Amino acid sequence: MVKPDDIKKECKSILEEGKVKYIVGYKRNNNSYMSIPAFIEKIEETDQLIWDPTCVYNLVRFIRDEKLRKERHKNPDTRPIGVIVKGCDSRAINVLLQEKFIKREDVYIIGVACEKSGVIEKKKLRKKFNEKNIKQIEFGKDNNFIIATEKGKTTISAEEILAERCIECNNNTPVIYDVLLGEKVERSLSEHFRSLEKFESISTEEKWNFWKKELDKCIRCYACRSVCPMCYCDECVADSISLAVKPDTTAEEKAQKIRWVEKSPVSSENFSYHLIRALHLAGRCIDCGECERVCPVDIPLRYLNKKMEKEASEQFGYTAGLDPEKPALVSDFKDDDPQDFII
Amino acid sequence: MEEKFEPKIIAFLCKWCSSAGSDLAGVSRMKYPPNVVPITVMCSGSISTNYILSAFKDGADGVLVSGCHPGDCHYIKGNYYARRRITLVKELLEFIGIEPERFQMSWVSAAEGAKYTEIIKDFVKELEPLGPQNKLRSNL
Repeated sequence: MVKPDDIKKECKSILEEGKVKYIVGYKRNNNSYMSIPAFIEKIEETDQLIWDPTCVYNLVRFIRDEKLRKERHKNPDTRPIGVIVKGCDSRAINVLLQEKFIKREDVYIIGVACEKSGVIEKKKLRKKFNEKNIKQIEFGKDNNFIIATEKGKTTISAEEILAERCIECNNNTPVIYDVLLGEKVERSLSEHFRSLEKFESISTEEKWNFWKKELDKCIRCYACRSVCPMCYCDECVADSISLAVKPDTTAEEKAQKIRWVEKSPVSSENFSYHLIRALHLAGRCIDCGECERVCPVDIPLRYLNKKMEKEASEQFGYTAGLDPEKPALVSDFKDDDPQDFII
Repeated sequence: MEEKFEPKIIAFLCKWCSSAGSDLAGVSRMKYPPNVVPITVMCSGSISTNYILSAFKDGADGVLVSGCHPGDCHYIKGNYYARRRITLVKELLEFIGIEPERFQMSWVSAAEGAKYTEIIKDFVKELEPLGPQNKLRSNL
């Protein structure tokens, strides 16, 4: 397993050489056992960097923020930014490259291999431990996590609190990187779409009741959109607040703007929003699980995206974020794509 | 007297094949149910997923997307793109619990007026037992 010291050493040398503007990584949060994103500009700050099972965040989102900041600046620092990525996050970079949203020279990718482990899921942890007592979580030997509480250390098998997406993950090693830390460990998984199995056996009506119950909770805070590394459009189809109003935009134009989704958090609009989001992420979502993590009302959004991922993989043999040179899922086709459903 | 449920179908027809096919059905005086509201679009590949969702939201009981047969597209490959996109929409709608019969896709060429009438007849027949679509209907 990658040691935090290796990351510190590597980041120190990168900053010393002046290769990057700053490095986005993880650091300890003083108030909680969870890590928080860290922006390391100075060499002495690299000591703050950590690597443990609470590094759940997808830092690729900050590449987008950096791009916007650069565009606003008159004389921007054109050096790349360093980003510490896990296997899943590295695929997000690939998708952004594929869509030509960023250039390869904009980022310096510090890949960290998850090897046979992964990151925790807070929901699972909460069931087993009182969160307030937890001081720190570390990687242990033999696929275990060591949980330090006030009373002492407990060792727990990783699978018990490992995030569902990590159990289903096929890319424990980053697929694109400038420097790779940790070993490339093969792990063969047959249960890539395990979490969707429970939907296969239930009837249409049960499916509807499940989603009706979940999506009616949505308060339309758009946290899922804000955190998603793929949601980078200047203007979102789901919310007309972000309509690009220019000085010459007339009142008529504003009034005639098509509103595909109304702002009210009622059932039909919630469904529209989440279905549109799932469809826009089809073939792009890399299952970093951020949308589900930030959701204040705990909607299992991952299932929608996972379903699209499953269809892309099973029907079209496409997996998001593996090759930035290939065309995207919906801008490509094969002559023998399945068409049994077409009359 | 109780009124019989008449399903409302929104059909997105591509201008070059399916719309011409429905025209042929019309000029040949073939009979088919009047439940369908055809909307001509330039190509089946131009049908955004938003169109489909907003059709359901505005009260459609069924949505039909129809384009040229593979290889016949006026824009060479628009219908191939449509096929992929519609597959994803269909799977997603099924996944959240919309009856799969409510959303269909077909290939209708300009010469297939008879096939078009058959598709509409079957579609209406399939929708009748399902009743009105209230799941995605706007409740604002």
